Amino acid sequence: MMKKIAHLIKSFMLWELLKGLAVTLRYLFSRKLTVQYPEERAPMSPRFRGLHAQRRYANGEERCIACKLCEAVCPALAITIDVAERADGSRRTTRYDIDLFKCIYCGFCEEACPVDAIVETHIYEYHFEEKGTQIMTKDKLLAIGDKYETEIAANKAADAKYR
Amino acid sequence: MPEIRNYTLNFGPAHPAAHGVLRLVLEMDGEVIQRADPHVGLLHRATEKLAESKPYNQSIGYMDRLDYVSMMCNEHSYVLAMEKLLGVECPERAQYIRVMFAEITRILNHLLWIGAHALDVGAMTMFLYAFREREDLMDAYEAVSGARLHATYFRPGGVARDLPDTMPQYETSKWHNKREVSRLNENRQGSLLDFLEDFTNRFPKYIDEYETLLSDNRIWKQRTVDIGIVTPERAMALGFTGPMLRGSGVEWDLRKKQPYEVYDRMDFDIPVGTNGDCYDRYLIRIEEFRQSNRIIKQCIKWLRENDGPVILQDHKVSPPSREGMKADMESLIHHFKLFTEGFCLPKGEAYAATEHPKGEFGIYLVSDGANKPYRMKIRPPSFVHISAMDEMTRGHMLADVVAIIGTQDIVFGDVDR
Amino acid sequence: MTEELVTITVDGQELKAPKGAMLISVTDKENIRVPRFCYHEKLSVAANCRMCLVEVEKAPKPLPACATPIMEGMVVHTRSAKAKAAQKAIMEFLLINHPLDCPICDQGGECELQDMAMAYGQDVSQYSEGKRVVLDKSIGPLIATELTRCIHCTRCVRFGEEIAGVREMGMTNRGERARIATFMNQAVTSELSGNVIDLCPVGALTAKPSRFAARAWEMIQHASVAPHDCVGSNVFVHVLRHDVIRVVPRDNEAINEVWISDRDRFSYEGIHSEERLTTPMVKHNGEWKRTDWDTAMGVVSDKIKAMLEDDAIGVDKIAALVSPNSTLEELYLAQKLMRSMGSGNIDHRLRQSDFSDQNSVPVMPWLGQDIEDLENLNAALLIGSNVRKDQPMISHRLRKAVVNNGAQISFINPRTYEFNFPVASNISVAQQRLVNELALIAAAAYKASKNAMAPHLKNILTGLKPTVEHKAIISQLKTAEKSTVLMGNLASMHPNSSVLRALAEAIAIETGSVLGYLSEGANAAGAWLAGAVPHRGVAGESENIVQGYHAGEINNQSPAAVILLNVEPELDSVHAMKNTLAQADMVVAITAFDSPTLRETANVLLPAATFTETSGTFVNIEGAWQSFKGVCPPQGDARPAWKILRVLANLLDQKDFDYMSSEDVRNELRSQCESIVLSNTTVADASIEMNPAGDELMRSGDVPMYAGDALLRRATSLQKTSDADTFCLRVNSAEAARLGVMGSDSVSVTQEGLSALMNLVIDNSVPDGSAWIPMAIKGNEQLGNAFAAIKVEKV
Repeated sequence: MMKKIAHLIKSFMLWELLKGLAVTLRYLFSRKLTVQYPEERAPMSPRFRGLHAQRRYANGEERCIACKLCEAVCPALAITIDVAERADGSRRTTRYDIDLFKCIYCGFCEEACPVDAIVETHIYEYHFEEKGTQIMTKDKLLAIGDKYETEIAANKAADAKYR
Repeated sequence: MPEIRNYTLNFGPAHPAAHGVLRLVLEMDGEVIQRADPHVGLLHRATEKLAESKPYNQSIGYMDRLDYVSMMCNEHSYVLAMEKLLGVECPERAQYIRVMFAEITRILNHLLWIGAHALDVGAMTMFLYAFREREDLMDAYEAVSGARLHATYFRPGGVARDLPDTMPQYETSKWHNKREVSRLNENRQGSLLDFLEDFTNRFPKYIDEYETLLSDNRIWKQRTVDIGIVTPERAMALGFTGPMLRGSGVEWDLRKKQPYEVYDRMDFDIPVGTNGDCYDRYLIRIEEFRQSNRIIKQCIKWLRENDGPVILQDHKVSPPSREGMKADMESLIHHFKLFTEGFCLPKGEAYAATEHPKGEFGIYLVSDGANKPYRMKIRPPSFVHISAMDEMTRGHMLADVVAIIGTQDIVFGDVDR
Repeated sequence: MTEELVTITVDGQELKAPKGAMLISVTDKENIRVPRFCYHEKLSVAANCRMCLVEVEKAPKPLPACATPIMEGMVVHTRSAKAKAAQKAIMEFLLINHPLDCPICDQGGECELQDMAMAYGQDVSQYSEGKRVVLDKSIGPLIATELTRCIHCTRCVRFGEEIAGVREMGMTNRGERARIATFMNQAVTSELSGNVIDLCPVGALTAKPSRFAARAWEMIQHASVAPHDCVGSNVFVHVLRHDVIRVVPRDNEAINEVWISDRDRFSYEGIHSEERLTTPMVKHNGEWKRTDWDTAMGVVSDKIKAMLEDDAIGVDKIAALVSPNSTLEELYLAQKLMRSMGSGNIDHRLRQSDFSDQNSVPVMPWLGQDIEDLENLNAALLIGSNVRKDQPMISHRLRKAVVNNGAQISFINPRTYEFNFPVASNISVAQQRLVNELALIAAAAYKASKNAMAPHLKNILTGLKPTVEHKAIISQLKTAEKSTVLMGNLASMHPNSSVLRALAEAIAIETGSVLGYLSEGANAAGAWLAGAVPHRGVAGESENIVQGYHAGEINNQSPAAVILLNVEPELDSVHAMKNTLAQADMVVAITAFDSPTLRETANVLLPAATFTETSGTFVNIEGAWQSFKGVCPPQGDARPAWKILRVLANLLDQKDFDYMSSEDVRNELRSQCESIVLSNTTVADASIEMNPAGDELMRSGDVPMYAGDALLRRATSLQKTSDADTFCLRVNSAEAARLGVMGSDSVSVTQEGLSALMNLVIDNSVPDGSAWIPMAIKGNEQLGNAFAAIKVEKV
């Protein structure tokens, strides 16, 4: 009986709504969690799988040896490679295209690469304005690799012991 | 006398409450639903057929994209099916990691569900709060796998990599000074396990807040109580699983009934409903938050105390370490072959099902001994649940359709596959 | 003879097999997989890789399955713990010195070492010491070596000794220093050398022309038929996206077993030649313009229609010269088009100069037996044949006959050729004396058989005195259980080929041998069946058909319009055709390749597809019809030639040219060929005359192995081999002394008013009275008939 009366009073006083509003009110005055993107960013794991890059060795030689393991393992068939013998007799790609519309960012290419040439970087902000520019050519990939080599190397070093 | 005709209404496929690409053709008598006819297939990607054309390990990434709010749980069934056929069991540590992430995924899924469901029904705040918690869990996803959603983390024989010892940290900016950043980074000082433990300690309080906002709320109750009632008999007959079945009062949970991995060592309870209405299903999912939180805590404790490999050390199935691959011939060959041809499963068939946040998610594999499936069948919970749409909505008002879509917790990646 | 069968038990399964058979051959037959590297069913047993170790009960140690003969009651376990441990240990041992090359190795993905390591080896190495390195050697333009990868299975060495018949590769040193090398680091020159690429279980020997081009898993394999010799070797063409990457053998025990010649393997390079014609071209006022198909075909059909209507020209002045490398469908459509217009001027025998017996020859050149039967021969006489280079797979069968049966095989040739098997006698005389020499053998045949001479030969055989050598050849043929007389490519090209044929036939009859022909090109047999000859229609029909001029006559008739099908006139013909073509009003060349001579002589060039780009059929020398499909799209605007001919016929308003596919064409022809019974016995001809050989120096030559057709001439890697001949003059030292010239002199050669400058090479394989100039290679366009008398002067 008492319960019913209490329930009735609570009901008339909008008790449960007020309780809810109290929760939201408390958050109104608490510290904000918002991250002010793009001036600041959420922290990012060294394992992050973003835009691809191709790396070089310290002496400037491209790492990729055109073994085609990444092309074979790519579930989305996003990678296309053409190979030819370079003048010095080494095996090199003449074409290395990643179609970013096909790519599913699974990271298998990076796992497959025996020479750490193809990597996925922390870059996640990119867009295309023209048809065809979603194809990352070898030159584009190498340029990204050159630009972010320090970060890439640091991330790979940080994660090396788990792989 | 004018002829009275039912009115046919198209709901979706671009309706914000349609959870993706659901198209419902509703036959209305005034505002009362006479018949609801779900049209599916707009997100069909032929995942089953696709899997037939690529080596087993290459389809893991496509599993994430089935129910794209419970990524690792989809992977879980797939890798378990492969392991069943291979006749291998993954290392204990890997099993704990998988169970922990399956539960994290359950929380992720339910958080999205509660946010979206409440938003559909009219409560805005829930959505924001739910996404706040999702952020932490997705950070955990990113920390282990490198992706916040499509993890591709579970592998046949274990998981891709061990849990990291450190967490990435916020950096100072013009918006946050050093002191504020150090406060933000407080729970990121230790390992991923520390980070998750901190979360599990905070999370029950958040669940209480959700309940404060919803459980007693009169609007919420008016919109959910006695809506979409399914009797236990009908629920069984319709093939319901997961919270949909338990909401009707049937105590059925694969984690208890057919324990896989280390669930038999976990201490947790299975909530069941009494009425089988939307409100009961809400309460069950809320309780699952708490139970999942419990399981995660137990996993964290075990993982802290026990070290070991996280993937099978048999390189006929799992690739060798990178260091080994660069140094010795056997490892290189195995690496090469696993990444090009993959491994072959012995001839036979296997069905592996897990208790997915939405219900029973099963993978049925038929192998002819090759390196790709002869046939793969996905048993998605959402597809089964959406087929009850007509029965659940009939006689309800138009506005209740939204509540029922919400309570079914359907995701179209899962329905259409 | 029944073999004694014994019963053995392998993995619990009871098997019956002939006593003494090697265990591995028994398990292979029963599909029980035993790993191996060195064992190959076509090669001898070496048992040096030890990979096939299996456990045999009662044997103290595991035994190699490839070198263990089976015995009654033997109990074998291939997957027992003991066998597995042995296999694992061997695998580890083999990998110790193997370099970490998989990512850059062409064999990666189709490597037996990888497969065995996955299936039988352990997954982590225990070996951390340094690895052995072997310096590489260049062994020619076809095979790339990476000898550090070698596991010393010696398959390549055994292949050289046992199959190719030349010991070019060998293993030197022992133990860790063992390595495969060629003698004195010379290049491998065998015409079958490419097969070691397939044999090599690892990446030590790979194909140089397709080096790095593609991975095994990304290529699509299509069955096809090799288009260069009358054997019709079965091949697989491997295609990546739209490009042919490589050609490998397709097993067919009846034809090529598991091998193919280098010619069939590497000729695909010509497909990608820069000289490929990719658009139709029309010559307008002496200038070549690229154009589209409609325009080009319009130009051709308008012109020919006008000629047909013009009484001053008439249909007799229209001719077609077709290549014997064209497909059956192309040849059939070409002749059907010609005959439907009313002209019989079509010929594929562009390298033949003696047509006098064309009415009595068999319906098609036929081997007279199956290719497989050749290896059971006990004796053979080959007339005018460099069989080793012309038909390497026939040569391989003959070699098997020699090696396995001790067959006595003799040759009579216009040059001393080298063969890869011991030859009973190898007679070589100048081309103008070849007939006399063969007549001596025929006379010996009649002497031995004591039969009366055939009336038409009496004239030339009476009074001849055969030598011991000639008699020996006859007695070999006569005493042999199975013997054959084969006419080779050089015999059919010979200016007196009709006489050679009559003599060969007589020898065959008198010695009880089978008479057979080896023909030129891939489809000479098909050309005869399709009626691509002036005097006979489809299936040898000689009544009720439009008769015409043969290749030699066409050249002298100054035709007004000529259709060339896959023919490069200056190289594919022994007749000097350039002037004839230049005078014609309309020369249409349906060709895959552009060339300066075609530009000079033709008016319209229509780009045709090569053998990988068209569907078609080749009829081989044993009469097998082998159809194949196009495996990649033609380059540029090129079209399959059968389609070009079909459309041309439509444009010329000819009836019954509504074929939808090449199969339609083939089936139509096939139905007309059903009643053919192949036979090489012919109607005895009228009496044969023989002109006495003069003393003057006569030009002679053959078609070098890699010059036979337009595709081969553009196969760049083959052209770098030693079998690719250069345009030079070869005489023996005695002849050189007579001429007053010395080796490497530059000489001027004059014949029939034409002359050319070339280098002189002293070569004692050329007989007296002969001046050897290879045909079908660049330079020939300067000279005339390939068998004329010539004058040589020092410049």
